[in-house]
Amino acid sequence: MTSIDPTLDLALQRVIRAPRSAVWRAWTDPVHLQQWWVPAPTIARIDQFDVSPGGAFVTSMSDDGDAFMPHTDSIFPVIEPKTRLVFTNAVNSAWRPAAPAPVPMTAEIALADHPEGTDYRVVVRHGNPADRDRHEQLGFFDGWGSVTAALAELVESEASA
Amino acid sequence: MAKYGALDDVFVALADPTRRAVVRRLGEGSASVGELAQPFEITLPSFMKHVRTLESSGLIRTRKTGRVRMCTLNQDRLSLVDDWLAEQRRAWEQRTDRLEQFVTEHQEKR
Repeated sequence: MTSIDPTLDLALQRVIRAPRSAVWRAWTDPVHLQQWWVPAPTIARIDQFDVSPGGAFVTSMSDDGDAFMPHTDSIFPVIEPKTRLVFTNAVNSAWRPAAPAPVPMTAEIALADHPEGTDYRVVVRHGNPADRDRHEQLGFFDGWGSVTAALAELVESEASA
Repeated sequence: MAKYGALDDVFVALADPTRRAVVRRLGEGSASVGELAQPFEITLPSFMKHVRTLESSGLIRTRKTGRVRMCTLNQDRLSLVDDWLAEQRRAWEQRTDRLEQFVTEHQEKR
């Protein structure tokens, strides 16, 4: 669970000069989250937000506040209040295994007290492409193509955000 | 983003041990399909499937000279994975910047 593959994963750490409870609230209060989740002028909409293990985390985004496109469709596998929040798009909000392109990811946000505020750590683990290869061999791949294409756009638009 | 449109194919191409071995070998320089196939105990048609997957992903280029098909690694395409990861990192750094700004500003208002 704590292993990191440097060719596929990324980790970042920062000290945020605010109490841990404030950082936790910024992540778990949808009114707060909505204000920093995507970069301005893009507008985020929090569609489903159940901060409990297995709960849905679904967001959309819009450039004009009118037409919204899917942004995140994921669940929280792990929630430890004020300490750890994990979400993954490898399983969608309907609990169906999903195949977002190019690879699924699990993001782990860990908070700890720090003399100057909050020790904030993020680890994003990206799927092993071999998982996708197995699907390809089983013939699953073609049928998933259209879904994957739609998801590819959203992952990439997030990357460019 | 259009720049990463090919990434999906690149990940799939790199997901196979035979194809990764071919990419590694081509990192040392161009080689013919025959030379590349030699270390593997698979039929030439099966090996050609791998070559075609690599070629359609853009990771390698092939060129036929007489009866020999030569393969060359396309470094730019390979570096796409690194670029993508760097971009993911930047997106998360910026997300953390926005979170930090939000919570610290929120603090001051209280």
